[in-house]
Amino acid sequence: MADKTQKPTPDGGVSTENEVTQPLGLPRWVSAILPIVLLVLVLGVFAFTSPLASIQSQSGEPLPDVTITHTTLPSDETVVLHVTNNGPDSVTIAQVLVDEAYWNFQVEGAGGDQTLAPMESAQIVIPYHWNPGWDLNVALVLSDGATFENTIVAPSQAPGFSLSLLWTLAVIGLFVGVIPVALGMLWFPYIKTMSDRWLHAVLLFAAGVLGFLAFDAGFEAFELAQRVPGAYEGNLLVVFGILGALTLVQAISAWRKGRVAAGDSRASSGLWIAYLVAVGIGLHNLAEGLAIGSSFALGRVSLGAFLVIGFMLHNVTEGPAVVAPVARGERPSFRHFAALGVIAGSPVILGGWIGSLAYSPTIGAFFLAIGVGAILQVNWEIAGMVRDAGGRVASATNLLAFLLGLGVMYVTDLFVVL
Amino acid sequence: MPSIDYSSAADVTERLEQQLVESLTGDTSVSRRTVLGGLGVAGSAAVGLGSSRASASSDHDDEDEHGNFGAVGEYRDLDFDPHEFLTAFNTGESGQDNVPQQVYEEDGQTVREFEFTAVDTTITIAPGVEFQAWAYNGQVPGPTIRAVEGDLIRVKFTNLGRHAHTIHPHLKNLNPRMDGIPQNGPGVLDTGESFTYEWIAQPAGTHFYHCHSLPLKEHIHRGLYGTIIVDPDPERVRENPRDYVNYPGPITDDMRTRFVEEAKSRNHEYAENDAVNEMVMVMNSFDTNFDGGNEVYAANTRAFAYGIGSTDGTGNWTAGETKRPIQIDKNERQRVYLSNATEFDLINSFHTHSQFFDYYDHGTTLTPTRKTVDTIMQTQAQRGIIELDYSDHEPGLYMFHAHQSEFAELGWMSFFEVI
Repeated sequence: MADKTQKPTPDGGVSTENEVTQPLGLPRWVSAILPIVLLVLVLGVFAFTSPLASIQSQSGEPLPDVTITHTTLPSDETVVLHVTNNGPDSVTIAQVLVDEAYWNFQVEGAGGDQTLAPMESAQIVIPYHWNPGWDLNVALVLSDGATFENTIVAPSQAPGFSLSLLWTLAVIGLFVGVIPVALGMLWFPYIKTMSDRWLHAVLLFAAGVLGFLAFDAGFEAFELAQRVPGAYEGNLLVVFGILGALTLVQAISAWRKGRVAAGDSRASSGLWIAYLVAVGIGLHNLAEGLAIGSSFALGRVSLGAFLVIGFMLHNVTEGPAVVAPVARGERPSFRHFAALGVIAGSPVILGGWIGSLAYSPTIGAFFLAIGVGAILQVNWEIAGMVRDAGGRVASATNLLAFLLGLGVMYVTDLFVVL
Repeated sequence: MPSIDYSSAADVTERLEQQLVESLTGDTSVSRRTVLGGLGVAGSAAVGLGSSRASASSDHDDEDEHGNFGAVGEYRDLDFDPHEFLTAFNTGESGQDNVPQQVYEEDGQTVREFEFTAVDTTITIAPGVEFQAWAYNGQVPGPTIRAVEGDLIRVKFTNLGRHAHTIHPHLKNLNPRMDGIPQNGPGVLDTGESFTYEWIAQPAGTHFYHCHSLPLKEHIHRGLYGTIIVDPDPERVRENPRDYVNYPGPITDDMRTRFVEEAKSRNHEYAENDAVNEMVMVMNSFDTNFDGGNEVYAANTRAFAYGIGSTDGTGNWTAGETKRPIQIDKNERQRVYLSNATEFDLINSFHTHSQFFDYYDHGTTLTPTRKTVDTIMQTQAQRGIIELDYSDHEPGLYMFHAHQSEFAELGWMSFFEVI
């Protein structure tokens, strides 16, 4: 605060100079710490004297809340339910029903008993000879008689961990992620010869593609959030992921702009934006990989040629989006192109591995949300890029290009049914 | 004047059938059961629509005026014929080709030996609708076994299915090893395992057998059930008439003679039995979408199998007609061995139009347990004998069906054609 002149504030008052001296002449850090110390004291008093005990006995009990997050079928004679206790109290799983019949079971991972502490997760292992393709309804009966049920639709055996599965997922990732993006990037020489107007249209087309992906992944994230155990607040987790990624990437971008203002030439190139776009698309493709991998983990895979072709068509449009920002100025070295392609495409493989090995709706929803946030920031960046180059973002050509981007994604999305 | 004219009867059947198939394939919202896991879709696509229904003599076309849903097609899968099943009795001496059997004496006792296998198969339950079934000797209902009171029934059972199975008979069985439950004798038989069950055929009556593996609901409703008919022995009836009647009063010689006559008419080894037209019906149902409720009901597995086809009114059907009434001779006594295998519903029922009948619950008595009724109900595994007499009726079509209207409209709807 070097500025010492007094400015009139809007309400007509006058801002006073900051009080530098502390009361009682205490050092500054004491006034920072004091509220925290007092808070700890009050909490301690509350915990030890429990002044609400009398109210507690009249206000009833919180309801039990148990979520079956997902089920796995390691063999055709075993059903495993992954359960989490979301409620504030412990719950005891007294019985398990399979297709409306009491069935034997074991609870694993709950410390040897059938009681789950708040926020505790466990696996319920049921020896049941299920039949592939025939829906299976399972229900937990708690000690107070409350039931929580889940239907396993068209069960099929999960493949389990193996190197061949990792290899399979890598090959699938290569085909649905890396190769299409690389092919799309081959449009670069052609994009280079375009006039400004058309280049901007291509950039806005890319923005349309990304915008569609943001909605696509956003809906998916909220859908997945429904399966996140209540205590983790699935929907808010998604919101946090979106806003967190958006602000984080935007902060990096703002830092770059500061560097440009300070005269760092490298930071001013379109390459920077190209990398941002690649990161955004990479995050999206990570989520795409998660979807593929988790469908493996859940034994829900129907990876026909049609699905792979659909993904390829869908992802080939991501290539020009990555390279359009570097169409002006100096052509980046081949290294950069390779790096851009890898950043944008290869996360499909990584996502596939994560999805198949450590599937959980919580992780899936969070990754999807991060992808959405990153994509939104990239669109922000693209708009800035067009404006800086003297173009008008909302020109007729650009709007139509944006719309075309949305349309192309919608149509190719029809081919991808996972 | 027939009691119901042919073309409108045909239309009713067809319309109900159309509704059923449509509800199964999810085209309309006619019922609460419209969601189906794609089972019927492929099937109904495979069944060509449109049939050449020759129009029988018709007085009015009410159904047509209110719109007709159009034809639904025929049963294409001819592996199982409900019309043949009706009268297919396996006695050891004769029976179905898919049930290896023999009869022989052993220690002065008649032994009727059958070879049973449990297999996983696909059956057709409505035109174009397939159902993954578990079946004894590949058929649902399983083969009807017929023996005489006191015989030894020997069943060499081999399980060829994915799941473990058993055979549990509803007979008076003195040896727990032979009860066919997981806890006794060989327990459940895993894939590839065999066991020979031996049961004494007792008491006389019509009985039920089924798989008793767990989960019970699944093993029964997937098709592992059938009928065991135990014919009364007239000689034993003559000596112990009280075992066959629920009657405390004095038994006169006249009554004794009547009971013996009745026993002879029930016993397939006596000529008196030839004068009776006997039919086996197992009321069953199928949950195709795993919601714990049935989408298809039938007598003997196939929805509307005994519905009306194209007939000239004298019992002649168009070639290739798979849905047609049961043709009966009005001068023959009619007997139905009825049992209920329906899962998920508390009861099923049997109702005849324009007709009253005598009912013998479990078939264990020679006098009716219900006299002159036109509707009876059975819970699962309950069974009984129905005796019908159409000698006074004019020729024509007479409906019989479940009088849970819902079941009737979902397939358990049939006709006798009296000629």
